[in-house]
Amino acid sequence: MKTTRLLLVLILCLTPFAFAQAPAVPAAAPSAAAPPVAPAAAPAMIADQDIKSLAGPDAKARENGDPDGSLTGTISDVPVTDANKGLTIGDMANQIGQNKIAINFVWTLVTGFLVMFMQAGFAAVETGLCRVKNANHTMMMNFMVYGVGMLAYWLIGFAIQMGGVGAVANLGNSPVLSHEFAITLFGKPFGLWGQGGYFLMHAGSYDVFVMVLFLFQMVFMDTALTIVTGTAAERWKYAAFMVSSFIMGAFTYPLFANWAWGGGWLATLGTGFGLGHGYADFAGSGVVHAVGGITALALGIMIGPRIGKFTRTGKPLAIPGHDLLIVLLGCFILAFGWFGFNPGSTLGASGNGALRIGSVAVNTMLAGMAGSFGAMLYMWIRYGKPDASMSGNGLLAGLVAITAPSGFVNPVGSVIIGLIAGVLVCLSVEFVEKVMKVDDPVGAVSVHGANGLWGVISVGLFADGKSNYGGSWNGVNGNVTGLFYGDPGQLVAQLIGCATLVGFVFTFSFVVNLIIDALVGQRVSAETELAGLDLPEMGALCYPEFEVKTQSVGA
Amino acid sequence: MAIAGLIITLLGFLISVFSLSVSASTSGRLVVVLIGLAVSLGGIIGVLNPAYMKNAIWRK
Repeated sequence: MKTTRLLLVLILCLTPFAFAQAPAVPAAAPSAAAPPVAPAAAPAMIADQDIKSLAGPDAKARENGDPDGSLTGTISDVPVTDANKGLTIGDMANQIGQNKIAINFVWTLVTGFLVMFMQAGFAAVETGLCRVKNANHTMMMNFMVYGVGMLAYWLIGFAIQMGGVGAVANLGNSPVLSHEFAITLFGKPFGLWGQGGYFLMHAGSYDVFVMVLFLFQMVFMDTALTIVTGTAAERWKYAAFMVSSFIMGAFTYPLFANWAWGGGWLATLGTGFGLGHGYADFAGSGVVHAVGGITALALGIMIGPRIGKFTRTGKPLAIPGHDLLIVLLGCFILAFGWFGFNPGSTLGASGNGALRIGSVAVNTMLAGMAGSFGAMLYMWIRYGKPDASMSGNGLLAGLVAITAPSGFVNPVGSVIIGLIAGVLVCLSVEFVEKVMKVDDPVGAVSVHGANGLWGVISVGLFADGKSNYGGSWNGVNGNVTGLFYGDPGQLVAQLIGCATLVGFVFTFSFVVNLIIDALVGQRVSAETELAGLDLPEMGALCYPEFEVKTQSVGA
Repeated sequence: MAIAGLIITLLGFLISVFSLSVSASTSGRLVVVLIGLAVSLGGIIGVLNPAYMKNAIWRK
């Protein structure tokens, strides 16, 4: 009886995986000529006794080493819970479960490490696009945003974002993060922020699942924060940067991330209002990049352009960065890190459709390629030269745009999304600079803001309905499907996400930074700006042996 | 004017949220959300940014 129960548990454990990953097999039409099919034989029953009869590798053979690896990792390595009973089916089933979660933990952690390395890429791109006299200041902002953001997120941000996320199947279904504050609006619950996991603690204890989730989400949050430093570079007061980044890591980012990923109201637009599968943002075109880009726009408007960026008639002047080599190297580092960003967002490599990581990774690289081509060709045709920094921005734009749809679209859709992103980033840079007259030294508003929004919208257009992450997304059965594949409701959900980013996140960020401006002041003095921020703000030059020329304002 | 720009930007967001109750049809909601998005963008690009540009450093 006990053996049968254990067998049932084993079958139940394995059944959902089979449903999730096996392709749908069309039912064969009955053929008149076909002989009657005999009923399938019942599956062979496995008893504890069968397992006990299995033997591990011979101890003597092990003494000769294991050059082909066939003797390492066998039944001998399955832990036995009760030495008196020996190995049981229960032990085997537990080991299967542990292996699944171990694969997913390792996958999520390693991809998180890759995303963390993107900080180096951002630092290289932003510093390279700034002038020598501001290199230390720009690099230090990119360096310290990691620590400032992490502190804010550990203290407050993570709980707001993920405190009500509930069980995550790929990471062990732990129930410890299940406290979401919600109001009722239009007769439906509207989740607003999480309330569990402050300081990563729960009822005086802690949980390995929370640790893995924190590491992965923390590096995403830090990516959003570091976007802002690019737009405000070469004139942002260091103290204001510290305060602004702390608040963004504690409140601005986590709020929107909760609404999209933490079980908040955007995620429930599908279950509550029948809009597709709710707001779907696979890896964060909206949550990470648009939040960063839109906050950057708010700050760019408030802080104003650098001295010498515009003539008295408002004509923009080019202020070239000091190191194109490090800019393009930074772009490559970012493209490498993106293989953590997007495929890692499955939060696992085993179970619930996570084998789609291959498709996600390929979609990511294809869109990046298409983005760099789009931008390079646009600049070549329009200005006669294949501009290097815009080609780099095109690569990043393609990657930003594919971040939300990477888990839902096919390779052809990815290339189209990336190509449009590459052209869009060039058009947006021109619009921001020539029409809005906002000075954005690195093009962060266009790369991350405009293309973040495009990525969110593209889910509602190009999602092909072929992805399957455990049979549902955001609690809605079936697969995320965009307008071109038959679901206009998904596009509406995506647009509501965009409206939230443009309408709410912008306003929130603007007001927060307006308060900081009143208390600390956002911008350095004109003298400091002309001299370069390295000495007045940081106390040291980045390149002390260089002769820094500051004869003209654009130098 | 800057405050007006902020209010308009936030208003656009509220219009988009209210699309959920204004209409039950997908196309009706789509139209209202697009209006909300346009209002927000208008608030930023058409009102708030010009208010800040009046005192831009390059005009001085």
